[in-house]
Amino acid sequence: MAIVAMDIKNADFTSIFNIASLQNKLLVDLHWFTLAVCLMIGLVVTGLMIAIIAKFRTAENDDGSEPRQTRGNIRLEIIWTAIPLFIVIVLGIMTAYVMIIVNPAVGTKRKPDVIVVGHQWWWEYQYPNYGVTTANELYLPVGKNALFEVRSADVVHSFWVVAFGQKMDAIPGHPTNMWIHPTKKGLFLGTCSEYCGAQHGLMRIIANVVSPEDFDTWIKAQNAMPESSNDPAVAKGKQLFNSETCVQCHQIAGDPAAKAHIGPDLTHIAQRKTLGAGVLENNTANLAKWMQNPQQFKPGVNMPNMRLTDENAHDIAVYLESLK
Amino acid sequence: MTQGTLPSSHNPVNWVAEVPEYKGILSWLTSIDHKQLGLMYIMSAFGFLVVGAFLGLTIRLQLMFPMSHVVSQEGYNQIFTMHGTTMVFFVGMPLLFGFAVYLTPLMIGARDMAFPRLNAFGYWVYLFGAALLFFSFLAGGGPSAGWFAYPPLSEKGYLFNSGQNYWALSLFLTGLGSVATGINIIVTVLTMRAPGMTFKRVPLFVWMIFMDAFLVVFSLPALNAALVMILFDRTLNTHFFDATVGGSPLLWQHFFWFFGHPEVYILILPGWGAISEVIPVFSRKVLFGAGVMAASTVAITFLSFGVWVHHMFATGLGFSPLYIFAVTSLLIAVPTGIKVWSWLATMWGGKLRFTVSLLHAMAFLLQFTIGGLSGVMFAVIPIDWQLTDSYFVVAHFHYVLVGGMLFSLIAGVYYWYPKAVGRMMSETIGKWQFWLMVIGFNGTFFVMHILGILGMPRRVWTYPKGMPGWAELNLFSSCCSFILVASILLFVYNLVWSFYHGKIAGPNPWNAWTLEWLAESPPIAENFERVPVVRSRRPLWDLQFGSGGDGEEDHHA
Amino acid sequence: MHSQLSATKPVHPLDTNIKVNRNILGMLFFIASESMFFLLLILAYVNFHNQYGIGQMAAWHLDVVKTGMFSIALFSSSFTLWLAERAHAKQSGLAILWMVVTIGLGIIFITGQALEYTKLVQENLTISRDMFGSTFFTLTGFHGFHVIVGLILLSVALWVMVRGRQHEITDAGLTCVSLYWHFVDLVWVAVFSVVYLWRFMK
Repeated sequence: MAIVAMDIKNADFTSIFNIASLQNKLLVDLHWFTLAVCLMIGLVVTGLMIAIIAKFRTAENDDGSEPRQTRGNIRLEIIWTAIPLFIVIVLGIMTAYVMIIVNPAVGTKRKPDVIVVGHQWWWEYQYPNYGVTTANELYLPVGKNALFEVRSADVVHSFWVVAFGQKMDAIPGHPTNMWIHPTKKGLFLGTCSEYCGAQHGLMRIIANVVSPEDFDTWIKAQNAMPESSNDPAVAKGKQLFNSETCVQCHQIAGDPAAKAHIGPDLTHIAQRKTLGAGVLENNTANLAKWMQNPQQFKPGVNMPNMRLTDENAHDIAVYLESLK
Repeated sequence: MTQGTLPSSHNPVNWVAEVPEYKGILSWLTSIDHKQLGLMYIMSAFGFLVVGAFLGLTIRLQLMFPMSHVVSQEGYNQIFTMHGTTMVFFVGMPLLFGFAVYLTPLMIGARDMAFPRLNAFGYWVYLFGAALLFFSFLAGGGPSAGWFAYPPLSEKGYLFNSGQNYWALSLFLTGLGSVATGINIIVTVLTMRAPGMTFKRVPLFVWMIFMDAFLVVFSLPALNAALVMILFDRTLNTHFFDATVGGSPLLWQHFFWFFGHPEVYILILPGWGAISEVIPVFSRKVLFGAGVMAASTVAITFLSFGVWVHHMFATGLGFSPLYIFAVTSLLIAVPTGIKVWSWLATMWGGKLRFTVSLLHAMAFLLQFTIGGLSGVMFAVIPIDWQLTDSYFVVAHFHYVLVGGMLFSLIAGVYYWYPKAVGRMMSETIGKWQFWLMVIGFNGTFFVMHILGILGMPRRVWTYPKGMPGWAELNLFSSCCSFILVASILLFVYNLVWSFYHGKIAGPNPWNAWTLEWLAESPPIAENFERVPVVRSRRPLWDLQFGSGGDGEEDHHA
Repeated sequence: MHSQLSATKPVHPLDTNIKVNRNILGMLFFIASESMFFLLLILAYVNFHNQYGIGQMAAWHLDVVKTGMFSIALFSSSFTLWLAERAHAKQSGLAILWMVVTIGLGIIFITGQALEYTKLVQENLTISRDMFGSTFFTLTGFHGFHVIVGLILLSVALWVMVRGRQHEITDAGLTCVSLYWHFVDLVWVAVFSVVYLWRFMK
């Protein structure tokens, strides 16, 4: 079952030191400073330990006498209290400074640009300014400071795109906010970062940062009705989709029967790179297999084994893959 | 209190297996003697250590390769839940209580603890609680919400088998035992010290245990309150943490971590105490800055109740609530650092004997420093925003808990085993165990710092292929974890081998200075025939050289 | 003074131990730990108090006057217990009488609680109905449980006293029981203020 697919080959390097947002630039700067300080302290301790081992081993011909006893040294103790105190004060000031800049308070007037809703075990993204709802793949325009509101539909999750820097928990009943100002285009990977049950490990995040023009194009495509197709398989697939239990959970814009919000929105599923929040590459064959038995690929997921025949699964897959 | 029920003996033996009061299993099952109970705590703890280590090994086996299927995701989630719960509550707590109840009376010149029957109660309720939790696997499945069991996941709606109920009930019970033992320790130290043993002359180990007991008495009840609430949510349909009916998942996090942070200090303080005894003895130097060492412990005890939100920095509580806790978390680093400097200064200028005990103490110093420094990084909130809930945190707490607590308590075991058993532990086996443990531990956990930086989240049952660095680093970590587990098994083997084949120790094999070394090895039933008047923190040094063992003036009655 | 169950050992001139009876110390620290437990239950109640109209619900469903009267019974029982202790110290036979009164007052309180619970459940206010039910019953329920334990302790103490050799219960033993009972009382002062009286403050 070793299937995974995310466009990892083309993804930007996943690391907190890969600076893909203005916020992360500050976080990384602070990180390097703190790391340098900690490394220095660590080296001092290590150096002292090495010196101790080298210098103060009991000699073979030791006479058994006691070495000179030191019970304390006021000056030394003041120094090794004052210097760490000074260091933590500096770190404290820098902490406040970076916190205020990276996560300024959000008034109630500003509508979020992106609402992230964590579900077990997929992500829903809403763009309230554009009336767009999608799932599992996030699009952002480069160079614009985006206000995120992070929510949960069930248990506690946490939204973290590694190269953007910070993460923010998704807690039911307690919406949270985060600012992300992407600084370079690319494909950035992330992950759910709060243990949320069976498939916490495969609740992946895919963030596409594109030019503002491409972003507008994507928004328009999301708002548009999916193109209808003349392919009879598509029509059959659509009919099956509406009559099987799919519509109990999934929404497709333009289909009056499919209005449920339990599972991911499938209006433009054909555009996505992966299925199951990063588990399978998105193509017709995989989609059919997923529908027949999602438990095989992501055991514990809330979508049950749909018990479709191969032919029906194929037809529904063809229909869904027509929803660009 | 009737002293008459505790037997006395006047013919000391030189091997614990020959102690007449310990013959027969009934003497152990009905014992209220602090030495027997201490040994039972420690043996149980090491038994569970092996269990917890194999749970950890299974975790590493599953994570050795991406998209692996050594265990299912459901099995994995139960395994890591049990790994954490076992290590904290069934290994860490009983280990430190075992050290505490065994050593405290001996080190203060007392006959037993203040409440011997309560002592037994504490042990048996712990064992019962542990058995109850493992029983859950036979009763429909174990808990799988992690050792910290955040709701809503831990609520009935998401995890409906009884495992979480067993988890809450089991920890509630062991918590009662812990509080009982904490009270016992406090009253013992307050009321049973030898004549002349002021608080300034109490051994540092006893001081740390004493402060630890305060942490226990004030923080475990907070956990019990939270456990009551989650148990009621799950069984009586209350709604404390159910957001859909007005409850608050965040409230659990506050309550749990209000307990959880003092808990980690509960786990480390006894090890600090052991180190504060071991390092001076094997450096032939009095502890540098003993008064400050004691004072900094008091500071840490108080501060530890004021840092809990640093486990919640990514929950969006707003600038002020978060920043206060960044300040307290940064501040608590200062008294902690002072200890490291003091221990180093103790060794500086000494005449070091590199016994296995001291080796573990030195590894502790370096590893605990690394763990402490990564902790300071987390106090810097923006860094926490990057790295919390990633493998960087896993690295941090294993460095302080395994590299810190376990290594320091193993140093204590090598140091005090001769006193309890009457025989020395094997230095040869010990050196092998030490180096394997150092290599295994650091190999397993150091690379996790890097994995966190590369974005690997924690508590995941598997990870995708193709993530740069993840497969290689996980493979390395998993290979080293075999070495770590082997070293733990070798340690347990050394305990058993030395029991039968160790050299007879005598009362004071290390030429140490605190009162327990006045007693026989193993001690007679009432510990001491006669307790001397104490004039310093090093009474045996005074007996040997006259007074002034700690630079104090002689006090005449 | 009374003879103790174990003879007091002569104290060494250099003894620096705290001179409080160890059982009393143990009880004090036990009370400290229980205080933390109740503190968190109270905080949970307080946390939800302003949400979802819990304050109003308390006003609507709870009868301050009736519960106040039962509370007075509980508070009085602390006073009568103090009288019992004083009588015991003077080896007076009134000690038993005051112990009985104390227990009686405690029973009145717990009966009042039971009646209140019954009335609430009949009004369909159960522990699982909403946040008020959850927090109210948990907090007052655990307090009631501690009262029952206290009544058991008091009864055991009374039984020891009644067996005729009244001086068998030690000062320390009676003090421990009374400390526990006073603690239970104090907790009720806090709970009553927070749950029953707070809504009068606006």
